[in-house]
Amino acid sequence: MPDSTSSGVRLRSRFADDPEMSDLVRLFISELPARINTLTHAMHEQQLEAMQRMAHQLRGASTGYGFPSIGAAAAKVEDILHATGSSQGENLEQLTSSVHELVELCRLASKG
Amino acid sequence: MTSLPVHHRPLEDARPTVLIVDDSIDVHRLLKVRLKNEDLDFLSAHTGQEGLALALCRTPSLMILDLDMPGMDGLAVLRKMKEHPDTQHTPVIVLSGQHSPRDKVAAFELGAVDYVTKPFELTELRVRIRSALKMQQLISMLAQRAQIDGLTGLWNRAFFDRRWTEEHARLTRHGHPLTLAIMDLDHFKIVNDTYGHPAGDAVLQAIGKILQRASRQSDLACRYGGEEFVLLMPDTTAADAVVVGERIRNAVASSVWPQHPDLRITISIGVAGCSGAAPLSAEQWIEAADRNLYAAKRAGRNHLVCTDLSVQPPRLVKAAG
Repeated sequence: MPDSTSSGVRLRSRFADDPEMSDLVRLFISELPARINTLTHAMHEQQLEAMQRMAHQLRGASTGYGFPSIGAAAAKVEDILHATGSSQGENLEQLTSSVHELVELCRLASKG
Repeated sequence: MTSLPVHHRPLEDARPTVLIVDDSIDVHRLLKVRLKNEDLDFLSAHTGQEGLALALCRTPSLMILDLDMPGMDGLAVLRKMKEHPDTQHTPVIVLSGQHSPRDKVAAFELGAVDYVTKPFELTELRVRIRSALKMQQLISMLAQRAQIDGLTGLWNRAFFDRRWTEEHARLTRHGHPLTLAIMDLDHFKIVNDTYGHPAGDAVLQAIGKILQRASRQSDLACRYGGEEFVLLMPDTTAADAVVVGERIRNAVASSVWPQHPDLRITISIGVAGCSGAAPLSAEQWIEAADRNLYAAKRAGRNHLVCTDLSVQPPRLVKAAG
């Protein structure tokens, strides 16, 4: 289910108005750029294990912060990495595009 | 020997402690916010090793354990916990991003009570935590009830027998001081015959309260049977135990019984303690305390007779007064 308020211009947490959660959501958003940097850096360095770690964490946590679509995109990245193992380059294109999708969603969330 | 929590006071209530073991900082943050109204204390560990160490030294009421951690993973933590008597029965809710049935089976076989797949719905996890804690509370309540005397609320004979054997063995290993007091109400049969059994029960209950109040946090007060009580005093020399025993003897003798103003209750106490290696077997030690109890009775009741087994004789007699 999409959690963007409009046509993907920005991404808003489901819990943005939950008083219990709003501080935590803001903290998560503020940390997203650093996480994305780590992920893309790992991709450029071809550190697949580090990528998988980061995708795994985003997958587990994003729904909790009210961003299920980020969680789903991270799951896709993790699943591709999982299937690829540590060797093949044939999924590289698929991986790149799924990482790109994830990065884009995080960027939209950061704007929210 | 047993892994059930041993409280010095029966049915002690405490706020449950939940240990969260997960390498993701997000899980810690989210759980703490989502569970902040649950009246729980939290402990955090970010690796399996750290989680295991905390589980062993803090024995939490519940553990929430991530399976997918680098280094020592969740299943390894569960395996280690299962091996240790202090953590064997700690309920564990397992968190995992993997959906493999094999992991689920392995986790349950290693003692997990529940399994939640990431990404998890926090409201769901919250009710699962409540339910696991409730279950744990009922189990430990049942276990404790089986060790508690129904009338006085003190520990019962079965509990005493087990702890006495354990404490005696501990003394044999480490040579810490240990003292045992056996106490018997004087002429209790007359109370029952004159005032009736309900009055007798009320006296026994009041004596139970006096024992709890006059003893110390580390002492174990037990109803040994009928009108007989024992006080197990770990890390206590015979001389120190006499102080505690005298406090009890005096408290009983000076009690007033509003329902029966002419009633006077006294207690006789036999004490046997030791501050080095155990000179007697666990059974012989009880017999030594029992002999002193009868010496106290023969001395006119409302007496305390003590033997320090490490220097015996002499025998110290405290008279009523």
